[in-house]
Amino acid sequence: MEITTERKGDVLVALTEDRVDGSNAREFQESVQAAIADEDCPVVLDMERLVYISSAGLRVILMIARSLQGEKRNFAVCSLVGPVREVFEISGFDKIIQTHDTQEQAVTAVQG
Amino acid sequence: MQQTYKILVVDDETDLEPLILQRMRRDIRAGRYEFVFAHNGVEALERLNEDEGIDMVLSDINMPQMDGLTLLSQIPDVNPDIRSVIISAYGDMKNIRTAMNRGAFDFVTKPLDFSDLRVTIERTLQRVMEWREALSTRDQLVALQNELDVASAMQQSILPSGFPDGPTFQSFGHMVPARNVGGDFFDILQLDRGRVGLTIADVSDKGVPAALFMMSSRTLMKGAAIGTESPAEVLREVNALLFDDNDASMFVTVLYAVYDPATGELTYSSGGHDAPLIVRADGSSTLLPLTGGVVLGIVPDFPFEQRTVTIAPGDTVVLYTDGVTEAMNSNRDEFGIARLQQVFATAPPRDSQEANRTVFEAVSSFAGDTPQSDDVTCVTLQRREPAS
Repeated sequence: MEITTERKGDVLVALTEDRVDGSNAREFQESVQAAIADEDCPVVLDMERLVYISSAGLRVILMIARSLQGEKRNFAVCSLVGPVREVFEISGFDKIIQTHDTQEQAVTAVQG
Repeated sequence: MQQTYKILVVDDETDLEPLILQRMRRDIRAGRYEFVFAHNGVEALERLNEDEGIDMVLSDINMPQMDGLTLLSQIPDVNPDIRSVIISAYGDMKNIRTAMNRGAFDFVTKPLDFSDLRVTIERTLQRVMEWREALSTRDQLVALQNELDVASAMQQSILPSGFPDGPTFQSFGHMVPARNVGGDFFDILQLDRGRVGLTIADVSDKGVPAALFMMSSRTLMKGAAIGTESPAEVLREVNALLFDDNDASMFVTVLYAVYDPATGELTYSSGGHDAPLIVRADGSSTLLPLTGGVVLGIVPDFPFEQRTVTIAPGDTVVLYTDGVTEAMNSNRDEFGIARLQQVFATAPPRDSQEANRTVFEAVSSFAGDTPQSDDVTCVTLQRREPAS
């Protein structure tokens, strides 16, 4: 699964796309972990191009959030659209994971 | 790191041993081959019995005590995954045929041509490795299937078999599991004072650990539902208990509702689960607002909230999992709640079982041949006019 990363100042922004469900959740987890390993900076997961996430995908986000928390690295997700935003709202994940409307807001927030 | 292959050489002529050690010395030194020797079939079987690490056998035919052809027929009893190569006299087609018929993988002829022998050994070892890989893949698949079967049996075992009803209401629940096991479950409980508790839930993972988590969730829900009146309080309790022993970051979405036939009131609380749908007698429907909860099991303490609505006679409460709303057709469109509402608009449910069936039929006709990727679960409760 393709995870593109870019640096925004001190922050690592990882861009997700397509779909995350039970069939590729593990792959998604490995890709994100590989993308954010070897760094100790804050991470923003940009979901603008993610069209679907299942509960298996949410669990991956949770595990990533927890492992980053363990490393004392700030973490946020941003730019949730359509069904992904809905899933975050229904599941209450927007209350558990720091969620921002735009990448700029997220980057600013995790730098603080 | 390169693997060392162990080859058992069986020959009664003692000059073969130093010859092989000498001609194969480079492969031996490089750690590619290791040779062990036996001088007849009986000794060879003993070696094979003692040493499970032997990968292949290279055996002469004519030997005292037990010849190579007899040895060939006995090797599978000791280790069926071993491949053997026979050394025969040049042109001895009769013995070669017999050896091949008894399962020899290949043969070489005397006097030994060592470059040919090396090619033959490599080819044999390659086959041994392929065979082992195939076996291990098969074992993994079997193990995986066993695990899924266990999880699936656990999931089925916690579903209720009967559904409460009364003079002014009936309830119904159904689940169609996905082939590779999702994590849905539901429960319909008769509570005190005629009240009915409706639970519908979806665990975030699959496999045995998730099934165990599902079983705890269901048991805790049942216990809390019986002991605690308020749905929000039930979720708060269960959430705290699930959190206590949850290292795996598993979670469960739960919608828990209590229906009171005496008042027609439905009080519900959502733990990160989809909102209930109320379908009226005329087929129109309303999605109830969420209660601002979160999934259960990952936040140590959460103040769940609840809402109460009064449902009218003829109204049907429809609880469902995302297997309904996220069912996909061949265009990868999602079924969605709006389509379900349209279906009810044209076919208002006459009772709770029919409402339930409508949901499954609508999902299945929408999905067509597209395989079901998640469990589909639906719980329905209809308020009825009291019989006069």
